[in-house]
Amino acid sequence: MKLTEDHIAYIIKDLNYRGIVAEGIQDELIDHICSAVEAEMEKEKRFIDAYHTILRRFGHTAGLRETQKQTIQSDHKKPKDMLKNYFTVAIRNLRKHSFYTFINVAGLSVGLAICFIIVLFVKNEMSYDKHFEHAERIYRINNEIKFGGNHYNMVYAPPVMAGTVVEEFPEVEAAIRFRQRGSYLVRRDVDNIKEDHVIWADKDFFKVFSIPVIAGNSTTALAEPNSIAISKKIADKYFPSEEALGKTLILDNQINAKVTAVYEDMPANTHFHFDILISMEGLDEARRTVWYSNNFQTYLLLREGTDVAQLETKLSKLVTDRAMPQLKEVLGNDFTMEKFVFSLQPILDVHTKSSLQGEFEPNFDIAYVYLFSAIALFILIIACINFMNLSTARSANRAKEVGIRKVMGSFRSHLVRQFLAESVLLSAVSMALAIGIAYLILPLFNNLSSRQLVIPFGEPIFYLIVLGTFLLVGILAGLYPSFFLSAFKPASVLKGNVALGMKSGFIRSALVVFQFSVSILLVIGTLAVYRQLNYIQNKKLGFNKDQVIVLEDAYALGNNRTAFRDEVMRNGKMESSTMTGYLPVSGSWRSDNPWWVEGRDPAVQENLVSVQCWRVDYDYIKTMGMQIINGRDFSLEFPSDSSAVIMNEAALKAFGFKGEIIGSRIATFGNGLGGEPDRNNLETLNLIGVVENFHFESLKQNVAPVILYLSDAPNGSISFRFKSQNAKEVIETVEAKWKELAPGQPFSYFFLDERFNSMYASETRLGKIIGIFSGLAIVIACLGLFALTAFTAEQRTKEIGIRKVLGASVSSIVLLLSKEFGKLIAIAFVLASPLAWYGINWWLKDYTYKTEIGVGLFLFAGVGAFMVAWLTMSFQSFRAASSDPVKSLRSE
Amino acid sequence: MHSPELLKGTLQTIVLKVLKDHGRMYGYEITQRVKELSDDRILLTEGALYPALHKLEAEGMLKTETENIGKRVRKYYSLTPQGRSLVKERVNEFMEFIRTMGNVLQVNLG
Repeated sequence: MKLTEDHIAYIIKDLNYRGIVAEGIQDELIDHICSAVEAEMEKEKRFIDAYHTILRRFGHTAGLRETQKQTIQSDHKKPKDMLKNYFTVAIRNLRKHSFYTFINVAGLSVGLAICFIIVLFVKNEMSYDKHFEHAERIYRINNEIKFGGNHYNMVYAPPVMAGTVVEEFPEVEAAIRFRQRGSYLVRRDVDNIKEDHVIWADKDFFKVFSIPVIAGNSTTALAEPNSIAISKKIADKYFPSEEALGKTLILDNQINAKVTAVYEDMPANTHFHFDILISMEGLDEARRTVWYSNNFQTYLLLREGTDVAQLETKLSKLVTDRAMPQLKEVLGNDFTMEKFVFSLQPILDVHTKSSLQGEFEPNFDIAYVYLFSAIALFILIIACINFMNLSTARSANRAKEVGIRKVMGSFRSHLVRQFLAESVLLSAVSMALAIGIAYLILPLFNNLSSRQLVIPFGEPIFYLIVLGTFLLVGILAGLYPSFFLSAFKPASVLKGNVALGMKSGFIRSALVVFQFSVSILLVIGTLAVYRQLNYIQNKKLGFNKDQVIVLEDAYALGNNRTAFRDEVMRNGKMESSTMTGYLPVSGSWRSDNPWWVEGRDPAVQENLVSVQCWRVDYDYIKTMGMQIINGRDFSLEFPSDSSAVIMNEAALKAFGFKGEIIGSRIATFGNGLGGEPDRNNLETLNLIGVVENFHFESLKQNVAPVILYLSDAPNGSISFRFKSQNAKEVIETVEAKWKELAPGQPFSYFFLDERFNSMYASETRLGKIIGIFSGLAIVIACLGLFALTAFTAEQRTKEIGIRKVLGASVSSIVLLLSKEFGKLIAIAFVLASPLAWYGINWWLKDYTYKTEIGVGLFLFAGVGAFMVAWLTMSFQSFRAASSDPVKSLRSE
Repeated sequence: MHSPELLKGTLQTIVLKVLKDHGRMYGYEITQRVKELSDDRILLTEGALYPALHKLEAEGMLKTETENIGKRVRKYYSLTPQGRSLVKERVNEFMEFIRTMGNVLQVNLG
């Protein structure tokens, strides 16, 4: 018998009344009971009797509810549902407190983004040269020489070294030499283009360094003189949409070089980037058999299982057996070297552990890799601490939640998981944002660090790391709060006995102190770097770097050099000019030779003075703005000045000149026919003046002895000291003249001060990067402090209200609220200062000339940090203090 | 009537087998069918049936569809392919159990 609509409505209502309401089971039970009632009514029962029979079978209300409960439980027995529940609650919680969530997410995502970029950067630095197939077996020969007060640590070896080791030592599979001769003017038809990355190289280049060759035969490519191998970049530049192989390029207007190979551009993470390799076969210098001239960067490919230490002993035997006899022959039998050692360095160490004379490119000190990693980690920790502090501080608000949950039967483990879910969720959101931020700021960072980093979206390991990181960060940040919060005793919580958030916060205070210690440390570091940079830029250098324009590659003018110079001088915009490659900024020509005071015995080592010998011309000292402190400048009025010398104070001291010195004479060996020093051909110079010491290399080094004498054929670059303030006008004038006299030759120039500043590019970069980091660290720490004060103020609304009613002033309340954190910052400053002092001294130890780091700097940083923190706090405090007490007291 | 204690472990097996033999069924129909097959000796209690059905559904052994019949909504259960393979497993397992019990209790099951 079918039930009527009314009957069904009755059943639905009744069951609802009995508490059968759960979605998914309600309908089912209704249908079941209806069917059963129908069956029962078949037995001629009244509806209501049938219904009660069925209800009894279910066990009335209690039985029905039990069925419902059991069913719901079997619906949710799966872990997926539990997690889902955790996350639902977590999302609701985070959304409810969106202000704190925002603070946390902002801090964490910036922290993660920084970490992320640093990890990419560090990974890149550590990956240098690893791409070479035989990277493990390639070694570079380094060379340390010490004699007569000279100390060289360099990457140069003698020209005969490579050939000798391959021939005589079976463990050397191949050896290749490089010889750098500066930039080259390159042309295909008419116009020259200046190329910087040009090198002379032995033919085994491709055997040792596995750079893929696109066209040509890698084994025979550089075998012939005047053959070159070029990178794809150069091939595309000079031979666009053409086969470059077999074509000819003209180098420096004199070498007709045939392209015998085109290779893939050298990867960015290589410690050299050559665009043109010239066959060493065409270089006379490379065939010399001398051991005392060191000009060739030499790399060895060793066989598997070579004992490197043993090979080094063999190299030192070469010094005693070959080099020393040659030296004695040239310099006399008594000559000894204090130190002359060849060592082998794995190329995998070159980029991060080497900074010697003659490096192809500036390398990166591994100490900075560690420093950056530490900073990144600190920033992340600061962000995590924000999370911890805010969670525990707000514990009072959640204590009731915890109490109720526990009363309802929640285990502690459930609560821990609940809180962890919140932090993991937060860190997942931050991670997603962090990747976005990293993606956006990576181009800026690349610009700053001159690297080409990319986010490896294509690599599965990347996603693994991202996943691992956000889980780890989420768990680390959530662990302490979750245990702290879940430990509440329900009885005391619900009675209202739990201490409010701000009390019992020893750990929280410690964490705030840590945050600010790190921030202050970074700020002091940044200030110190900037102060040193400033010191360098404003130090009295001994020459005037401003208002000087330098034209490079004067040789491109050929015989028009002097004409060009005179023409430019004629327009009246220039004060003076000089033609020489020897300039007081690094990257210019350098040449050192041993000299001695005439009359002393050059065979006695103590008599030899190694000095920089700079061939200059008449107006050099005037153009560079150097100061003559004794004697006179070169002058056309004295024909004898062709054998005159002016030396700097350092050289004066090195030669041991005292008293009346003008007219003293110094001597050195002249060149023999083959270019080697000739003992029988002495060259002497007559001292006419002394110039004040001037810094011509980085301030990391002492001023070395320099002698200046006149060159018979000036060459190199042409420098003009100009009067006009308008640099653009100067460039235009000079360029117009250049185009006229050197058509088709590239016009390249620099300003002396700019080149000077570029000597400190890595310091500037370091300063900028650390500056950004410390700024971020302090911002993140302040975000946390901001939220903490906001919270305290909120907690103490009533207290503030009562204080105001009783007559407290706004300022006294602001002070009250900021006092606690103010103390913490003071402690942080005390902790950070000694560390910072130590760190700064460590960094400055490389500089011979360094700025004074006084108490002022520390105080400045400390007061600065305090001010920033105090401003942050006072915003909240002031808001709380100035609120209307009536409002805060009237509630409840 | 068999004691509910004995039935406890066999509930899922019964439900799965009945569904396999009859295709889609709703809760009440299952109880009636079992009652019929067992000559009124096995009465499934609703308090056990629905949790079992929901558990099997959550595990992916059963799928459901609903039909509106006037004011009532009827929910039909049927086996998923996964559930289908489980039936055989469960029945075999149970037969094995019976044989073992025969040995343990020293009775010949004939």
